[in-house]
Amino acid sequence: MTLMRKCVPVVIGSLAAAACAGDGGKGTSPPPPPPSGIVLVDSLPIPQFYGIHDQFVRDGLAFLCAWNTGVLIYDVGNGLKGGSPAHPMLVGSVVDSGGEAHNAWWFHNPATSENRYLFVGQEGPGAIGASSSGDIHVMDVSDLTNPQEVAHFHMAGAGTHNFWMDEAHQVLYAAYYNGGVVAIDVSGTLSGDISSRMLDTVSFGAGNTYTWGVQLYSGSVYAIDMVSGLWHLNSSLGTLGSSGGGNNEAARFSSDLWVANGYAYTGTWDHFQRTGLAGSLLKIWRLNASGAPVAEDSILVSGVGAVSDVEVSADGKLLMFSTESGPNSGFWFYSLADPAHPTLLDKYLISSGVHTATFATIGGRLYAFGAENPNGAALIILDVTGLDQ
Amino acid sequence: MTRRGAGLLALVLGAAGGADAQRPTVQWGAQAVPTLTETNIVPGDRSLGEARVLLPVAMLHAAAFGGRLRLVATVDFEKYTITHGELAPGNWGESFADRRHPHTLVHELMLVGGGPHVFVAAGKGFVPFGTDDPMSRPAVLFPVNHHLSQILERAVALAGVRVRWATLEGAVFNGDEPLSPGSWPAWDRFGDSWAVRLTLNPMPGLEAQASYAWVHSPENRPGAGPDDRKASISTRWARGRWYGEVEWARTSTADGFFVFPSMLAEGAVTLSRHRPYLRLERSDRPEEERVFASRFRTRRPLFENSILGITRWTVLTAGDALDLHRGPVRYAPFVEGAWIGIARVGGGVFDPTTFYGREHGASITVGIRLAIGMTMHRMGRYDMTPAEGSTPMHMPMDHGERSE
Repeated sequence: MTLMRKCVPVVIGSLAAAACAGDGGKGTSPPPPPPSGIVLVDSLPIPQFYGIHDQFVRDGLAFLCAWNTGVLIYDVGNGLKGGSPAHPMLVGSVVDSGGEAHNAWWFHNPATSENRYLFVGQEGPGAIGASSSGDIHVMDVSDLTNPQEVAHFHMAGAGTHNFWMDEAHQVLYAAYYNGGVVAIDVSGTLSGDISSRMLDTVSFGAGNTYTWGVQLYSGSVYAIDMVSGLWHLNSSLGTLGSSGGGNNEAARFSSDLWVANGYAYTGTWDHFQRTGLAGSLLKIWRLNASGAPVAEDSILVSGVGAVSDVEVSADGKLLMFSTESGPNSGFWFYSLADPAHPTLLDKYLISSGVHTATFATIGGRLYAFGAENPNGAALIILDVTGLDQ
Repeated sequence: MTRRGAGLLALVLGAAGGADAQRPTVQWGAQAVPTLTETNIVPGDRSLGEARVLLPVAMLHAAAFGGRLRLVATVDFEKYTITHGELAPGNWGESFADRRHPHTLVHELMLVGGGPHVFVAAGKGFVPFGTDDPMSRPAVLFPVNHHLSQILERAVALAGVRVRWATLEGAVFNGDEPLSPGSWPAWDRFGDSWAVRLTLNPMPGLEAQASYAWVHSPENRPGAGPDDRKASISTRWARGRWYGEVEWARTSTADGFFVFPSMLAEGAVTLSRHRPYLRLERSDRPEEERVFASRFRTRRPLFENSILGITRWTVLTAGDALDLHRGPVRYAPFVEGAWIGIARVGGGVFDPTTFYGREHGASITVGIRLAIGMTMHRMGRYDMTPAEGSTPMHMPMDHGERSE
């Protein structure tokens, strides 16, 4: 059962903790608000073609998935072009053969010590909950200033969404909406059509499968499905099998996930309210001894259409999610001092909404990168080091 | 000033019309339709009633050189009277859903030239595709298929050839739809879309057309959205007391990933001063994310290319208008009712039962058409010498005076 917090901190923002603690505390002055731990570092305009959808940041390079503009590679601290989070410098760009660049993963292959391939997800047209389209495109980024598409993966009747890479074993896990979850062997040299490299696939039943995202955690793959909720999948070098969870969120459609600290954090997608409930949830799941998710808590965010992306910082201390379509759209940051019950630290609202957000540590500081929706599409870069205590 | 220049100037200045066919002529007209609409097909399982002034337009038609050069101008003031759209279940497009969007202020501004066999036109107006705009047809509430069966308010250049009873038109235009009632076409996109239409007039009163259009990224002005392939076939009868039309239309989006078909049949007859009419329609429409601020609005520009599903709307509309006039003012009180059925097509998360609280409903509209001056022309056609069959149908109020 999902437990709803009685104290709804998100509505009142930074003062939430104080307000909750001070319920009924007449006659005492509320403590002053804490100094904001969020600093806007840069807002990088992106061509509105349609704009920026997602970003992957690694080794001081930001791979911006800018839809029909393709993938833009920026130096945000790598040193290649002298860029920094405050002054991103364009290194190169590439337009995937289908356009609609949605997400990316820069593959660091420990077997070959190469960082040669960038996997780009194309999100084609789809009817949410029923159909989808779009391939995985493989870019050779050996020359970051001149990336080239060298391979692609196509799955008939379905389109790809978010990825996770088991780099140690060279297996790419991809959510495939109505196609469920797909595992692909990405070892060695990739060229041409790599559809035959599919190792396994799993779905959650007809009319019950529309998988948003996947993550590998402690040897298991976790999949969040918009229709059927959070699943725990056994995984062994690309072989997939359902192990636990699933069919555990019927009131709302689910969105993104992140797994850390023995807990899973998932969002809900309420652009169409499944049962008429307003607002969106950040749900917290405890992973039991077998790794299966058990609902632990939830946070209701009013005034939004979706919790559109979820991530936990590498040190496990800071939870971030993005929201869009409503007056409370933007970045939300929570302390994971108690990972079962996150507490609001701060938020950074952007009226046009933030579609995706990701953390990156650069030069010893923690940054949040976010994709601001059009009109006004931009890469938003926040220094949130102050929150990560 | 050259003689041609003088003639054009006279046209623009709108010299008063006369019997001499070679002299410039000017016609003008205006109309408005105050209405009260009530329906139970409303987001959130409720009923809603609204009073609005619909279709407030002013028209100016000028001609020179014996009609070989014409100016067709229509100003639509819906920007001011239905800023948030007209309550109209099933209507969609231009970021509105279940409300008809207001048309742009400059609805038509077309310069048409040529003779009986060859003509050209350019300006802002209708693309030669599909059937006449619903504004110039009997029912007041627009059909669901407006965005499947017409392409309007574009920067368009067209050419037509007429041989006996066949007319072939071709056009290039900008694919982007208007963003708001005050917006103009994206000029840098002019020519990124095209359309052709073949019209046959084999006998007086009878008209048939087949048309095809390729429209680039209509719902994303920068051009990042999917393209539409549109087809339309229709047969129309307008002669004497009778009017009838049957049409089929189909829009295929994103290389056929989504397909939206439409069938529509409508008719009207003049019985003394009464003008009863009937329309039956079955049209599919995309269901898109509604924005937080209004459950009647969808997001523009589109972000991704996904939709929530497809719904099929079956709408039976019946009405009657009474033609009256007082001095130069023509007025036609009317009552119009519709039975509406909504069904899901092909999966997707959109569920009308969740969204509307029902799958069947109704709407009722009462109002009065007010008009003065010239009668409304067939919106969507710029033929130089229309055959008898393509002359305007007999609309309510057509018996009145004309200011020619």
